[in-house]
Amino acid sequence: MSETASEIARVPIRPDLFVEESAGPPRLVGSRCRVTGQVFFPAEVMNPVTMTEGTLERHEFDGAGKLVAWTVIARGLPGFDSPYALGTIALDAGPGFIGQLHDWQDKTLRPGMPVRLAIGRIKSEKDGTEVVGPKFVPVEAQA
Amino acid sequence: MTRVYVVGTGMTTFGPQPDVEVHELARRAVWEAIASSGVAPAEFKQRPSVAFAGHAYQGPCFAQKSLMKIGLQGIPMFNVENACASGSSAVIGAAAMVRSGEAEIAIALGAEKLTRPGGGFLPIVAGDLESAMGRVMPAAFAMQAQLHMQRYGTTREQMALVAVKNRRNGALNPRCHFKEEVTAEQVLSSPSIAQPLTRLSCCPVSDGAAAVILASESAVRALGLTPRVELVATALVSGERTPYGIVDDKSEMSVRAAKIAYERAGLGPADVDLCELHDPFTIAEIIHYEDLGFCRPGEGGAYIEKGLSAIGGGGVAVSPSGGLMSKGHPLGATGVAQVAEMFWQLLGEAGSRQVPRARVGLTHTVGGGVTKLEAGASAVMILKAV
Repeated sequence: MSETASEIARVPIRPDLFVEESAGPPRLVGSRCRVTGQVFFPAEVMNPVTMTEGTLERHEFDGAGKLVAWTVIARGLPGFDSPYALGTIALDAGPGFIGQLHDWQDKTLRPGMPVRLAIGRIKSEKDGTEVVGPKFVPVEAQA
Repeated sequence: MTRVYVVGTGMTTFGPQPDVEVHELARRAVWEAIASSGVAPAEFKQRPSVAFAGHAYQGPCFAQKSLMKIGLQGIPMFNVENACASGSSAVIGAAAMVRSGEAEIAIALGAEKLTRPGGGFLPIVAGDLESAMGRVMPAAFAMQAQLHMQRYGTTREQMALVAVKNRRNGALNPRCHFKEEVTAEQVLSSPSIAQPLTRLSCCPVSDGAAAVILASESAVRALGLTPRVELVATALVSGERTPYGIVDDKSEMSVRAAKIAYERAGLGPADVDLCELHDPFTIAEIIHYEDLGFCRPGEGGAYIEKGLSAIGGGGVAVSPSGGLMSKGHPLGATGVAQVAEMFWQLLGEAGSRQVPRARVGLTHTVGGGVTKLEAGASAVMILKAV
């Protein structure tokens, strides 16, 4: 990155959770069992359901899902936005995940509401570095 | 296998203790417990004995550092961590050693210092992804509340009544962090923490320590003690892998732990007179009424609304001590303090918060937020007046 590209450093919360490319939407990185087809997110090192080693492969998927439950945290831990919203997500690929919502403020949230993946700020470090990771954007039905 | 008796208990006042070092808090609880048991301190060196210490954040060799203050060293000591269930796990480990005959007498202690200037959330589980991304405990319980409200029609007002009851009980217990009653209106109108939970829907972050002394049948005889409270069953389970972790409208592992404990005790929920229940947030108590079998799934809101869980309310008197909601929640001390309260209640020595006809009591804790697991551990113990 050139010196002038950005004043704010941006680092992933973990290096193995998602891929972001200039073309196309971001994708989650999990693992998939070659035997059972089950998808895990975050990736597992072995299949913990069948208790089998050596059957998992890297699996990228779009991170779309449905909102199961949510809450708004009035005052976050240091570095977190206040308020921020957290959602329990049923990913269409199978796994569940609890993560922050993105672009939720002006939407009427409801159970079963579709969400799509976005990569955004999870928190900021003291030096201003943005820690980014998977977040979920509630998608309102087209009028 | 021998029966296991609780023969003594001790507990510091819970709440901010900025001037007392944590091992000293533990020592005070242990010393009170030993004194109340009538067992001479030297007996712990002269008989087969064991010590278990539960804590989550207090550093290595906690039991050793605490017990050397009273001159007790050289015996087997285990330091146990299971998040909020650390203290219960310590009692269960100690009881297992006594029951098996490997130890005749045991000390189970728990302690934690968590308060710091400015307050705030508990430290997150190190390296846990969802926690690092902002899934603080009140948020997880807030989503539990949302699911329970959606599925069963549980209301914010019913949840607030849990805080009202536990603060009313806590006002009668001088060892509590919070000693003032609150009204439902105050609970509902206090600042939002994680919708729908308000500040008064959450337990405080506290410092404190508790200890219990356990003894086998042979130790009770040899030491000339009168067995008055028996620890009739213990069950410790860990959380299963679930899609959404702790976000559910029930606690499967609490159901499982209770079932095991009831079977081992040969008792059922209808036999339970009182319960010290894990109530870090109001919604948790409503859900756990159902998990522990005090009412059917979905009826927890009505159970509190009808007043059944109050002292003398006609159902299971829940958290006569004031619960975590009033006492506070110094993680390692919490489960041990529940056993201490049960001991005082079953002896009829609980003063103005005494549950009438207290013969069978159940303690329950849940601990630990781990991504992809319901939680770390759930512990259930059943105690009986002898």
